[in-house]
Amino acid sequence: MMADIALRARNITKYFHDPVTLQVLKNISFEVTSGEFVSIVGKSGCGKSTLLYVLSTMDTDYEGELEIQQERVTGRSLNDLARIRNESIGFVFQFHYLLPDFTCLKNVMIPALRLGRLSPAEIEEKAYEKLKLFGVEEQALKRANKLSGGQQQRVAIARALINDPAIIMGDEPTGNLDSKNTGLVFDLFQQLSKEYGQTLITVTHDEDFARRSDRTIVMADGEITSHGK
Amino acid sequence: MKLNVNTQIAITYLSTRKKQTLVASLGVMFGISMFIFMQSLMKGTNDYFEKSSFSSTPHIRLYNENKVANTHLMDNAIKDASVKILANPKQLKQNLGMTNPYGIINLLRKFPEVAFITPQVTANVIYTSGNVQVTGNIAGVSIVEEDKMFDVQQNMISGDFHDLDKVNNGILIGKGIADKLSLHTGDNITVRSGEGNDMTMRIVGIYATGMKTVDDTRSYANIVQAQNIMGKDRSYVTDIKINLKDYNQAYTVARRMEVITGYKAEDWVQANEQLKTAFKIRAIILNSVIGVILLVAGFGIYNILNMTIYEKMKEIAILKAQGFSGRAVTSIFLQQAIYIGLMGGTIGLLLGFLLSFGLSRVYIGSSTSMGSLKYFPMSFYFPHYLEAICFGVLTTFAAGFFPARKAAKVDPVTIIRG
Repeated sequence: MMADIALRARNITKYFHDPVTLQVLKNISFEVTSGEFVSIVGKSGCGKSTLLYVLSTMDTDYEGELEIQQERVTGRSLNDLARIRNESIGFVFQFHYLLPDFTCLKNVMIPALRLGRLSPAEIEEKAYEKLKLFGVEEQALKRANKLSGGQQQRVAIARALINDPAIIMGDEPTGNLDSKNTGLVFDLFQQLSKEYGQTLITVTHDEDFARRSDRTIVMADGEITSHGK
Repeated sequence: MKLNVNTQIAITYLSTRKKQTLVASLGVMFGISMFIFMQSLMKGTNDYFEKSSFSSTPHIRLYNENKVANTHLMDNAIKDASVKILANPKQLKQNLGMTNPYGIINLLRKFPEVAFITPQVTANVIYTSGNVQVTGNIAGVSIVEEDKMFDVQQNMISGDFHDLDKVNNGILIGKGIADKLSLHTGDNITVRSGEGNDMTMRIVGIYATGMKTVDDTRSYANIVQAQNIMGKDRSYVTDIKINLKDYNQAYTVARRMEVITGYKAEDWVQANEQLKTAFKIRAIILNSVIGVILLVAGFGIYNILNMTIYEKMKEIAILKAQGFSGRAVTSIFLQQAIYIGLMGGTIGLLLGFLLSFGLSRVYIGSSTSMGSLKYFPMSFYFPHYLEAICFGVLTTFAAGFFPARKAAKVDPVTIIRG
């Protein structure tokens, strides 16, 4: 039996118009199967982050077609896309990007509260579990801006996992972590893909991180030069 | 706590920026409290003047109007073909008395709206004491009925009005007349009517309504006494004064009475037109002042929310990345505006009430020229408070709407990628 397709991109093309029109993505087509752990690598400016934001559904200004969980998302309304992101995509940014006014626990809980599938008490319990995975449960009730950069990034990853999304996307998710924490995050990502069947797509500069993932897609000048298969 | 996540975020934002929240709600608070305060003062004052106008004006006054002779009968009948021979029309001397006044009174008593009805004889007179003369008018009334209708008792400053029915040739004069002629209760006064009859009368009391035009001219006598001064018979009545159960119906009831009786029925609004105009102008001034205050408060909220949104640009982008729709983001910021409005509004209501209450306790003197007014006339009218909170929330909603919509349009990609 063929594995399910978690994400499929067909002929994705994107231009930047400012300051001059520039084609950043050229006819990108690829598929990611469920449970796969994919790294996208390439030189700075090759368009890998731009591609990730298109895949995340946040950027809708592109040509081509995008399917997530076998559902076409191209052309859907912004409200629909917001719901899809909330439900099926967890996003980890290059810099931690927590909400500084809230406690770490609340930061992790917010996407689940938005989804509203569980009761607040259940969400709180689950948020504690996720924080424990990354060893930051002691910081749970501190305000997010009181934490160190590494701790904030781990909280941010915990937040990305709270809704058990089908796809987790990371833009340099370990960029701000030391080697010990990078190892911890990598092991956890691998566990998520192997044991829970969650799909991971990360953009990274870390060659070691990329090498150890299931597959590495290499990009150069807005094109995929290697699908890593 | 089982609050919606948007509400939780809105409240967290408000509580982490206490100073700005406070400043924004203070603006609303001042707007609302001024609204309450000024509305209370205005309604209190208007009510006072309306009430005091009823202390001398009945809801409806029925009287025989002096009509100018109609010289245009021919014009009406044969239009331009007529040639006018009759020129320079003169007023005929008419009997100002009504025909069968007591019959009319009995007829009008059957109106279900009528609460009280009493006949009156009015005549222009000249008061004389020594060699000083004052012009004015005398009202022949049944003083007991007059008291029921206008509360004569509360205006009395000396003497007893009941003596009008007991003392032969008794008269009740206004304070202005008494001052000008230097008279006191128990003194004699000469009253001369237009028909030329002199009558010496005994002052049984002095009253002051606070309205100079009344106090300087008006005196009361028994209706029979007044008929005597004018040399008329017992059926001579010039006015019928009518009070209704609800004075707001005066206009419509007066029109019906005119049709039935054929006499002129003047309602209290017509009689006090200048009062109504003053009410209207005061309302315009008041509303524009309140409008400006609320507008300023609204701009305050608009500014603060706009600033918040610039500061929170990154956080809005994160929320959107996590699946908050534009609508959810709008709701977060609009809720902040509304909470500011509710908070400021509630405190404003309280402050407005306290200010009004405080002023209603301020003593402003009790000289008789002020009538019965001793304290600031404040009204505590519940709908004002309801209106105030509605205005407050509406203003904050409008002020919050545009910043909130701007927040909803934040593009997460440009913010996150820098």
